[in-house]
Amino acid sequence: MSLEGPQTGPNPSGSDAESAFKEWLRRLVRGTAERRAFDAGEIDAVMDPGGGSAILLPPARAALQRSSRLLLKAIDALPCEICVLDPAGTVVMTNQAWRTYVSAHAGMGLGLSDGLNVFAACRQVPTAERVGAAAVASGVRLVLAGERDLVRCQYVYDSPRGQHSFTLAMAGVCTDGSLYAILTRERVSQGDRTPLAARSDRAKPNRIAATGIAADVPNRLLAALPASQRERLLDGLDSVTLNYGEVINEPGEAIRYVYFPSDCLVSLLTVVEGHRALEVGLVGREGMVGSRLALGVDTSPVRALVQGTGTALRMKSTRFLQELQRNTQLRPAVLRFADSLMGQVTHTAACNRFHRIEARLARWLLMTRERLPSAQFRLTQAFLADMLGVRRVGVTSAAGALQRKKLIHYRRGIITILDQEGLEAASCSCYRQVQVPGLHIAS
Amino acid sequence: MARKRAKAHAAVPPVTTVVTLCLYVAGGAPNSVIAIANLEAICQQYLKDGYKLEVIDVCEHPLRALSDRVVVTPSLTKLSPGLPANVIGNLSDTGCVLAILGLRTADLQ
Repeated sequence: MSLEGPQTGPNPSGSDAESAFKEWLRRLVRGTAERRAFDAGEIDAVMDPGGGSAILLPPARAALQRSSRLLLKAIDALPCEICVLDPAGTVVMTNQAWRTYVSAHAGMGLGLSDGLNVFAACRQVPTAERVGAAAVASGVRLVLAGERDLVRCQYVYDSPRGQHSFTLAMAGVCTDGSLYAILTRERVSQGDRTPLAARSDRAKPNRIAATGIAADVPNRLLAALPASQRERLLDGLDSVTLNYGEVINEPGEAIRYVYFPSDCLVSLLTVVEGHRALEVGLVGREGMVGSRLALGVDTSPVRALVQGTGTALRMKSTRFLQELQRNTQLRPAVLRFADSLMGQVTHTAACNRFHRIEARLARWLLMTRERLPSAQFRLTQAFLADMLGVRRVGVTSAAGALQRKKLIHYRRGIITILDQEGLEAASCSCYRQVQVPGLHIAS
Repeated sequence: MARKRAKAHAAVPPVTTVVTLCLYVAGGAPNSVIAIANLEAICQQYLKDGYKLEVIDVCEHPLRALSDRVVVTPSLTKLSPGLPANVIGNLSDTGCVLAILGLRTADLQ
């Protein structure tokens, strides 16, 4: 909103200048009714066809400036932290609470201050914060492009005082025909005092920690291999993008490729004649698809369906069998994963039989969340109904219940986990049984 | 047992005319705020749910206002039914507003 007077008109100063300005404006007014209202003081602005703008009369301009100042002071007085980005992603305004937070944390944790560009700031974060920063950059892009009204993502970072986390909410605001983004910090917490960099080592058994976890290999199964064996294996792997809804294995078919997910998610579905497919397992970056090859079986018993778009490393099954022979650490690693997958399948079968839909949905969302880099993912209710083996109305009701408890937000097929701990409390005990050690949600 | 006779004439829903209005204002400037309050009071009292109102801030959408031939704000335009008509000012003259809405005060009393 422009609070300025005309660019081409006289500059009002003092009562004479103001009178001259009003007289100049009056000349722009055409029509008897318009002039009558102008003379009666019932007009706030006159349209200037030459400048293509609205010119405010002095009383209106003074009133708007007063309300703008009041608004800025009110925003400054708010206890929540607010930051406003222009359409290019540059910070144009922050409130007092935001500035205090940035100052107290010495700019760490995406310490955006006035004039900084959020995209540039997201590129310059430490390695441990890259996942969170990428989610923030992606969210801001969506909001500024008008594709989403609101995006929330979790951001975790280390400081000398321990590990901090917060949820960043990004909302779009349209003014002057342009979209701005309003960022607010929510749920600021200082939880785990162990720095992020040390966390993955702590979560792994000592034997694996001693070999060193490859930070640049997202797949945990590959990352846990000794460096020399991992490098040799990586030479034979191709990076592929797996898209939502893509089927990479059908039951009874020969396993042609094995997949090591990096940031995608694959559902394992069992298909029973006359019924809909039912999910029995979930594989993400903690494991692989095609582990049965290590057991000497070359066909898939399940349908492997991509339910989270992302990348994976792929290898032909013939090459993988050769690697199993010569790579001494690969077979034990794959067998350990196959065993944990079997445990997951067992618990899922019991869970599907005994537990309520709401608790199963919570368990399933948590399992999905820990395998993906963001707390927000795309899921349709029809897809969820297939995953849980229930009718769609059951999913609607269960998702509605979780949403009413403010544990999740569900809109237009996008699910956002708002309260991780609350969702864990709402899930059945099976989640703790199938939780993958070391697969921390924010890592 | 005697059966109740159905009514010979089925209930005919009343035909309602929706009045479409456009109010051009200058943000939260004093006359604009008064105009919005006055118009909402008039609409609620006389039109109930039978109106559609679009409020356009000329500071945010000046080109829209210019293309709609708006000269000053606040300015109210009735788009339908009937021919378009305008009222200029803060709409404190209720009779004038009712006249462009096609509602004469005499008919309403």
